[in-house]
Amino acid sequence: MQINPDLKFIRYLKGAGGDTLKKCFQCATCSVVCPLSGDDKPFPRKEMIWAQWGLKDKLVADPDIFLCHQCGDCTAYCPRGAKPGDVLGAIRAYAYTEYGFPAGLARLATAAKNLPLLIGIPAAIILIMWYISGGMHLPTGEIDFGHFFGHWDFKYLTKTTMFIDLIMLPAAGLAVFSAYKGVTSMWKKMCEGANASPEWRPSCGKFMNDFLWPSVKEILSHDRFNECGVNKDRARGHKPLMYAFIGLLIVTTYGFISKDFIGIFVPSLHGPLHLYDPFKILANISAIALIYGIFILWGNRSNEESESGKQGTFYDWFLIYEIAAVGVTGILAELTRLAGLPFLAYLFYFCHLVSVMMLFLYMPYTKFAHMVYRTFAMAFERYRDSGFANSVKAD
Amino acid sequence: MTDAGGASPMGAVLVVGGGISGMTVALEAAEVGKDVFLIEKNPYLGGRVAQLNQYFPKLCPPSCGMEINFKRLKNNRKVRMYTMTQIKSVSGAAGNYEVTLETTPRMVNNNCTACNDCVAVCPEERDNAFNFGMDKTKAIYKPHEMAMPMKYAIDPEACTKCGKCVEACKYQAIELDMAAKTFTVNVASIAWSTGWNPYDPTQMDNLKFNQSDAIITNMMMERLAAPAGPTKGKILRPGDNKEPESFGFVQCAGSRDENHLEYCSYICCMATMKQITYIRERYPEVPIYIFYIDLRTPGKYEKFRAPLMSDPNNHFIKGKVADIVPEADGGVTMIAENAVTGEKIKQKVDLAILATGMEPAAKSQAAALGVQTDNNGFIVSDADKAMLSAGCARKASDVVTAAQNSTAVALKAIQASRR
Repeated sequence: MQINPDLKFIRYLKGAGGDTLKKCFQCATCSVVCPLSGDDKPFPRKEMIWAQWGLKDKLVADPDIFLCHQCGDCTAYCPRGAKPGDVLGAIRAYAYTEYGFPAGLARLATAAKNLPLLIGIPAAIILIMWYISGGMHLPTGEIDFGHFFGHWDFKYLTKTTMFIDLIMLPAAGLAVFSAYKGVTSMWKKMCEGANASPEWRPSCGKFMNDFLWPSVKEILSHDRFNECGVNKDRARGHKPLMYAFIGLLIVTTYGFISKDFIGIFVPSLHGPLHLYDPFKILANISAIALIYGIFILWGNRSNEESESGKQGTFYDWFLIYEIAAVGVTGILAELTRLAGLPFLAYLFYFCHLVSVMMLFLYMPYTKFAHMVYRTFAMAFERYRDSGFANSVKAD
Repeated sequence: MTDAGGASPMGAVLVVGGGISGMTVALEAAEVGKDVFLIEKNPYLGGRVAQLNQYFPKLCPPSCGMEINFKRLKNNRKVRMYTMTQIKSVSGAAGNYEVTLETTPRMVNNNCTACNDCVAVCPEERDNAFNFGMDKTKAIYKPHEMAMPMKYAIDPEACTKCGKCVEACKYQAIELDMAAKTFTVNVASIAWSTGWNPYDPTQMDNLKFNQSDAIITNMMMERLAAPAGPTKGKILRPGDNKEPESFGFVQCAGSRDENHLEYCSYICCMATMKQITYIRERYPEVPIYIFYIDLRTPGKYEKFRAPLMSDPNNHFIKGKVADIVPEADGGVTMIAENAVTGEKIKQKVDLAILATGMEPAAKSQAAALGVQTDNNGFIVSDADKAMLSAGCARKASDVVTAAQNSTAVALKAIQASRR
């Protein structure tokens, strides 16, 4: 076998938290102690040697790198301090960039040195839109973020809703498109890697029913996370956080549909939600769950790093900061609004918009991308074991 | 040179530990005329080699090499032996160390003829440490079949001082009120031949040592195979005495692992290969599974490996056992990933042997005694200070290497005492 090691790839992994990868001496302890690894071709031992050899194409086509939840059991039992859990994290970070579209934006989202741009771009877009809208002045009377981008008398669509749509829909659209493109190309590579010809494809309904939905159910219940030994606490933070996102997704979807579509016929929907509106209650509970979850994860990670003396990576911390920023600015905007402090309310609302836009915009390239890639990798794991993939192998 | 004060001649050597290394240092120094104090914490000399069934390079039983050394010791008036003796403190400098020693009471004096009458009447039992607790002795016991000195000893933990042995002893050899004795010696140099302990297998929680009788260590295997061992040389599973129908070896059990012993213990691969020959003598056809990371068969040992690997019933699997599951039938399932094929292997066996490594025995006390150690607790020789380390106190090694090194240490000790 001729091996052409991709040195750039190895160097990237070393910089992205996988600096210990060369310590691995292939004893395979990790594959046995991993609570998530299956009996057939277990991980992460094989990923470690592929990474040492710089076999990037094999790795990005390997569903196992996404099936890893970084429990840390392998790292705890590793006799060499090679930290397979961290190496697989670095490989995932690489894979998101590799699959990311547009490539320039994906690369931008990988390094701390690009932070001024990463924050600056959404901030500038929103500032410019705010300026164009003419809403850039402190409100008099009751604070209504519904008037943040100004107000007009066109009763079918408010001015602020339109501006929010103009900002967020393209950002979210780009994210969804990029994730779709990434997942499709990942799936193709995984099929090639697993020798599963795309000729035998399940129907859309069957795919949903047999592969995707069971994976989503498993994610919702955190079954795999709960099998983790060393980092068991991560599920304690991740679960409320994930449900918070689902709650906020429901509220946002409701807001979008009610304001942009139903609002055309029922203009009264354009006002802010009452505090006792069920959707507002859901929004506030979700916000609290989000803050609770992210600070548990924050604490876990900083404890872990101070114990191991390991330098944190931009990949891990960027998402934590980003989500914390969304939660904190959102809550502060709401509280200062209720307290009647217009300057602070508008400032925090602006920051909230910027952080939300960042979350949308960089989702497919940062650690946030795991929600898409891991879900589909888990679906692929089921597909790989199903008749669809295996019927071809038998030929 | 005059014998100053009788107890502490000028330029003497203190040898700490009476295993194969310590005996070698003591004899090599004494046979060229040096005065030697040889101390040993156990009631017998011979150390770990005495516990082996056979040892390399020629697979002799330990009686072979030991007997010669014991005879040399007995015939050499320059060596003063103190068993059950340990160091309390060390002061002074190279050429003039003052060492305080303490002998714990054996409660049996030199009158003992090893007639065994005391054992017949003793009502108390103790776990036999020499056989790693796999059988029991009475509270008064013969340390082992070819103990040197051939004197019984009483375990103070087990003894209730009922006095039955005193009555039974025809030679007034038993002194239940024997007291500990502290004394000092002046020596020019100190040779540390403190040897090694098998690494504590309970430290590897994933290998479940304490959770099944079917999991033993390689040193326990030596005792099971030894004719004077707990099973009289039959290899039977502890607990139910079943004749195992399959065996599994776990290599690097605690060695080459930064969570345990970060170094290679050097001997475990060859110990396992040797133990495969023990099994083959008794069970010619049973399957034996050997899980390893790398097989290290240095030098001539490579010749030993080849025939074992061509035996179709010996299965060598590259992949470390990282989990052992005790089974209801008394066996265990060993779990590993075969790193060559990438498959997870769950191998059920009747007896699993953990190839545990060598932990330097002086690790915890070395600093208090002013001895320099490396990161792993092995003693580093310092010729200028006349503090020398020999055998497995210096590094994990086989008997041959330990004996060679001990001869070198004897020379260093002689040089230090002539300065």
